[in-house]
Amino acid sequence: MTLDFSIFVEYGPHLLMGFWLTIKIVIAAIILGMPWGLVLALGRRSRFLIPRLAATSFVEIFRNTPFIIQVFLFYYVLPFYGIRFPAEYVGTLALAAFGSAYFAEIIRGGIDAVSKGQLESARAIGMSDWQAMKNIVLPQTLSIILPPLTNQTLSLIKESAILSTITVHELTMSGMRVQGEIFRPFEVFIMVALLYWGLNETIAILMRKLEKWSKKGRTSNQDSAETLKKEDVVR
Amino acid sequence: MTRDNMETDAFLSLKNITTTFGSITALDDISFKIKKGEVVCLIGPSGCGKSTLLRTANWLTPPDKGSVTLDGFSIGSKRSKNMSRKEMTALNEVRARMGMVFQQFNVWPHLNALENVVRAQLVVAKRSRKKAEDKATKMLHDVGLEDKIYDWPDNLSGGQMQRLAIARALAMDPVLMLFDEPTSALDPELVSEVLNVLRRLADDGMTMIIVTHELGFASQVADRVAFMENGKIIEEGPPNEILKTPKTQRLRLFLDKLNITAFTSH
Repeated sequence: MTLDFSIFVEYGPHLLMGFWLTIKIVIAAIILGMPWGLVLALGRRSRFLIPRLAATSFVEIFRNTPFIIQVFLFYYVLPFYGIRFPAEYVGTLALAAFGSAYFAEIIRGGIDAVSKGQLESARAIGMSDWQAMKNIVLPQTLSIILPPLTNQTLSLIKESAILSTITVHELTMSGMRVQGEIFRPFEVFIMVALLYWGLNETIAILMRKLEKWSKKGRTSNQDSAETLKKEDVVR
Repeated sequence: MTRDNMETDAFLSLKNITTTFGSITALDDISFKIKKGEVVCLIGPSGCGKSTLLRTANWLTPPDKGSVTLDGFSIGSKRSKNMSRKEMTALNEVRARMGMVFQQFNVWPHLNALENVVRAQLVVAKRSRKKAEDKATKMLHDVGLEDKIYDWPDNLSGGQMQRLAIARALAMDPVLMLFDEPTSALDPELVSEVLNVLRRLADDGMTMIIVTHELGFASQVADRVAFMENGKIIEEGPPNEILKTPKTQRLRLFLDKLNITAFTSH
């Protein structure tokens, strides 16, 4: 069988529109999901029962049910309560909720990974729990959680394909539409796969750079480099 | 100040403290007082409760029973879980007046030396950045880290990290300093640089409680040495009496053991 990629002259823009919507949905889901994940993570370690219980239930429900079922529930159940949004919005919300459960666990793991002594020394000097979190623990958490955060972001991008089932016209849906018109599944889905792959690879590379940068600050700093030089001169 | 304090002259007072961890009794109905300007060294075998006693003083390890007062102010009498917001704020204020130095230093690795000393001044004491940085620079100078001001903790030796931790605590203008085995995690050749800082603090009249295994140091700087075992203070008094003519068999055994270890390790 011969592959004919000339079809993308005509149908390429259609796929790119879907691709652009995928990007927008994922960005919105991350912007909503990460802060909410942080709230959930902090809620789970609250000293009060109700926030602890609420956050734990949320995380456990969204982590332990299939994403496609969550999407259906958001899409078909919300209108019953008079909440009507376009499918893209509902999809984004579902993706954000699903992602936030995982983000919460990643952030909680990161907080636990910072040694207990760090929190204790902050509390001992008079910081409140939140001040200690904000100034001492969370900044150290960041470099620990970057790699799993990257994984989860890549996974969210792939999960976003499921939104095609509720008529969201994102990349996968665009691919199916184009394929439905021209019956060339190989070319179309290879192109769709390439677009997902390209997006994920770009993010992975950017995050690796960010990881390096976040570790760089501490160990090699200019002043100590200068001190070394001075010592060399003395010798 | 309450009447009780004027009578007993106690600056920090721990009353009838009992702390249990599961089935283990870490502190067994201990009462402990320290006067202003006094330096007390807590000694004893590991697991005797001396660190727990120190951590009770600033409510880092809330006891099951008992109360703590600093300069007449109650620090706490409840598990922090059950504290109201107001009580928590009051506790944080008292903690800011008590410096604590840990065995594992617990300097903050994501902040450079200056920022380690500056941060709590900004956040807790609400000082201006200018004022906090001036203070930090002075404190780092006092502990001999004037050429490490912009260094990151990762680039500091253990002794330097511990001196940084001391500077961080002193910048808050504490009225009392708590040291939890400040030299136990240090290489032997780095111990003296930290002890020298402590010695100078003692000379300046700082009120200090020091948990330590350095008996030589204790005999030099302490006004009083308290020997603990099994969650109780077994014997206490001036270092010369305590360390040279112990009254109890247990302390005698403890000192013998330390001397033998000291002998064989040199």
